[in-house]
Amino acid sequence: MQTNIITKIVGYIIIIFIIISLNFFLPRMMPAGPLSGLTSSTQPVLEQYITYIVDLMHGDLGWSSSKNAPVWDVLIRSMKWTLLLVGSSTAIYISLGILLGAVSAWKKGKKTDVGLLILFISMAAFPPFFLGMLFIIYFGWKLDLFPRFGAQTLYIDYSTAFGTLLDILHHLFLPALTLTLTSIGVIYLLTRNSMLNVLDEEYIRTARAKGLGEWYIIRRHALKNAMLPIITLVALIAGLVITGTIFVETVFAYPGVGLLVSDAISAHDYPLLQGAFLFFAFAILAVNFTADRIYELLDPRVKED
Amino acid sequence: MKQYKNNKLGLVGLGLLIFFVLIAVFAPYIAPYDPHQRFESTEHPNSEHLLGTNHVGQDILSELIYGTRVSLFITLFASIAAVGIGILIGLVAGYFKRFDFSLMRLTDLFLTIPKLPIIIIIAAFMLPSVWNLVFVFTIFEWAITARIIRSEVLTLRNRNYVDATRLFGAKDSHILAWHIFPYVVPLVFVQLVLVSRYILLAESGLSFIGLGDPTAKSWGMMLHDAFAYPTIFISDLWMWWMLPAGLCIVLTILSFTFIGYALEEIVNPSLKRSPWI
Repeated sequence: MQTNIITKIVGYIIIIFIIISLNFFLPRMMPAGPLSGLTSSTQPVLEQYITYIVDLMHGDLGWSSSKNAPVWDVLIRSMKWTLLLVGSSTAIYISLGILLGAVSAWKKGKKTDVGLLILFISMAAFPPFFLGMLFIIYFGWKLDLFPRFGAQTLYIDYSTAFGTLLDILHHLFLPALTLTLTSIGVIYLLTRNSMLNVLDEEYIRTARAKGLGEWYIIRRHALKNAMLPIITLVALIAGLVITGTIFVETVFAYPGVGLLVSDAISAHDYPLLQGAFLFFAFAILAVNFTADRIYELLDPRVKED
Repeated sequence: MKQYKNNKLGLVGLGLLIFFVLIAVFAPYIAPYDPHQRFESTEHPNSEHLLGTNHVGQDILSELIYGTRVSLFITLFASIAAVGIGILIGLVAGYFKRFDFSLMRLTDLFLTIPKLPIIIIIAAFMLPSVWNLVFVFTIFEWAITARIIRSEVLTLRNRNYVDATRLFGAKDSHILAWHIFPYVVPLVFVQLVLVSRYILLAESGLSFIGLGDPTAKSWGMMLHDAFAYPTIFISDLWMWWMLPAGLCIVLTILSFTFIGYALEEIVNPSLKRSPWI
């Protein structure tokens, strides 16, 4: 048990080291030649590497030529939008996925179930950026219901905080919907399957025989036992959703770190791209690590693995 | 085989995939023009250009047909390579105890590593080309297969018939090739489908943000071009420029999904009633 935790932590340390080193060595190894301007120094590589690590610790990620600002500042400015987008979509797809999965299992074979199945399985086949473009065309241009780009209306000063909030939510809706729909399928299917398995168990029959209400049984008896596998999965999907912002933010010109990635690629702004890379890599690692710990807390059996 | 034939969705998926593979293979015979040939730009669909032309005047239908080639080539080649590496590592780690620990730590490392950001940054620093994409996807996609194959081999290697074969003096390589590998083949197919699905999604995403090969355009690259065109959404251009390429991606992903479900029901009969009612 003890060694298991230690190997895991050592694993994480190795991965962090790999990520940081990759970020340093890639521009020096690759033939594409973007390193002009990156490495003008004639120092030995080892010294450069040490300087790089020290700079990194001080939050010095270099200068972004396309934004004309330090990479760190650009990242900090964009981060809040990505966190808002990821956070809201995650809250929605987890709650909605579990709820609809449970409903689907309960209504197994009926119209609601089949409809939800077809909807979510086909949605999972859409690349997020393609679904986003379709939403822009339909909800943005044809119906003119939602803004087509950005996170806030520019050059408008709302007098009330409430007005600003509404504006932000209005802009958030389509990108968050895109991310939610493309990632909800896995969690919905898993909830549905584990619920179907649980609903067959003897103790559910007992609960029914006791005359407990259907909804009460689902909530207190079935869903509770179906939770564990769902939590492991959330970590996996969280990784997909975090990287999904790269594509969704690009389509909606939503000013988060994901948009920085595609901006940096088209502007050949490599320091900015590397900064954004560090953000995404560490965000995913942090989510995985947390999910691991939560799972261990909830299920004492894993400790023996 | 027989079981697969009884699965309607599996057949639909297989049919779709074969359809796209045929288009990819016979692209030069089907496509009306060379995809690089230039005509007048952004023409609307007409009798000469069924899907019109793009911003530099290339015939969109021909681009779409050749794009099938690029998208499927990257997807299938990389997934076969990745699954192949996964099989090899899984077999060795599961069968030879002395390699198990180190190989599995390596596998864990590749499973925990944030794949997509690393794939993106490597692709951004390499010259954009089809082979480079195949390379990065192969490197970062083998780990899951290795894990799954290894745990299957662990249960197989202690079976009585394997012990018996060993007693008869069979070499390890013989046992692996003839008495263990055949039993993991169904799993291999499931993995191929799952990995292909992931790679196609990732490849179109990478191409969309501008990391695709501009000389051999995939479907994702077509969407990149279309999206970069200023009036794509205001005019009707999106209908024949953006929609067909996007739908091709969706249909191919769906075909992988359907084949995957059908195969999984065969490999794992306890799943039989799910997810398809």
